[in-house]
Amino acid sequence: MRNENAGQIRIIEAVFAVFVIFSAFAVTANLPAAQNTSRTNDLSSVGLQVLVKLDSDGSLGRNLDQENWTVLRESLNLALPAGISFNMTAYDEQMHEVNTAVISNGGFGSQEVSFTEYICASRGLTLKCYVIHLCLAVTQ
Amino acid sequence: MRKLNTFRANSSGQLLIVAALIIALMISSTTIYVYELDKGAGYSNSPTFADFALSLKQSTRNVMIGALANASNGGYRTVLSENLNHFSDLVRRLNQFGVCNLTCSLFEDSVYDLGIWFSWNSSDVDVSGAYADFGLMIDGFASRVSVPYAINATTSLASNCSYVLEGTEKHVNVTCRLYNEEEPALAKSIVVSYESAGNWIQISGTTIDYDNGTYLISITVPSDAAQVLLNVWDSRDIFVQAKHAL
Repeated sequence: MRNENAGQIRIIEAVFAVFVIFSAFAVTANLPAAQNTSRTNDLSSVGLQVLVKLDSDGSLGRNLDQENWTVLRESLNLALPAGISFNMTAYDEQMHEVNTAVISNGGFGSQEVSFTEYICASRGLTLKCYVIHLCLAVTQ
Repeated sequence: MRKLNTFRANSSGQLLIVAALIIALMISSTTIYVYELDKGAGYSNSPTFADFALSLKQSTRNVMIGALANASNGGYRTVLSENLNHFSDLVRRLNQFGVCNLTCSLFEDSVYDLGIWFSWNSSDVDVSGAYADFGLMIDGFASRVSVPYAINATTSLASNCSYVLEGTEKHVNVTCRLYNEEEPALAKSIVVSYESAGNWIQISGTTIDYDNGTYLISITVPSDAAQVLLNVWDSRDIFVQAKHAL
């Protein structure tokens, strides 16, 4: 009986061994978080770079001082790559929201929303600092 | 001997499973090791981290430009240290990458006082400048990073003056070249005055803007005018002054 079933048992054992190896692949393939984090980091990086670019000539701080929310929205719209939704909120140093209008180009269609924080110092004769929170998402 | 062979034959399937388990363990451990390595590298060399330091540098530059504009327009030189201390306090509240600490050291030498240098009414080049060294320390969740950098904000005005005396008038031509950090820069405003009998009188002349930071100003002043004064504000509101004898 044992000798008759030995071949079948070995096949079952071989199948089990293959299953063990494939399960190892399956478990290790479930580590996509690093890639997602990297993609979110990329989007955060884009957001920060855009804010730095807008602030390089002092226009970001000037528009915040002058409460030019429309200009800020248009600037972000132009500076960010196509297909990216944004929502910017500006706070004063006490973290009170200063923008009285929504600075956004629409809702977020993506579940992957990246967040960027930036301190903007305006170049006015009197120092005024703002904390900017910029949320970005890929439009679907 | 026969028993051993029988044992080997009976155990070959189990050996296969044991081998498969070892291979699975090796695959898992290698993948997890590479994953952790990537994750660690991703944190310390993340482009966002580099951009974060760059963004703070940009904001620091703006603080210095604002303070220099303030001081050059009649404010106290201490405004630079006050504003930078204020900004450092704000930076400490950031915690996106860990605890941030920004230290600054204002440059001091024979010309810089409290990090600010004014050299006006000199012969050729007049300067309003600010210079400071910074150290950005970030105590992150996994590492500690230190980013030293220096900021130099300088507006310089190179000017020369020539005139032709015609009767009771002097036709004066003043050429100005404005620079921000040694790069040609545009002026926001240029006000010209001349000194006559101890009084400074503002005058409007003809200005040719070459759109590259160079301006040619032509004015006509009385023959007794002794000096011409240029008050120049750049696009950042930093003030610089030049004086020429006639």
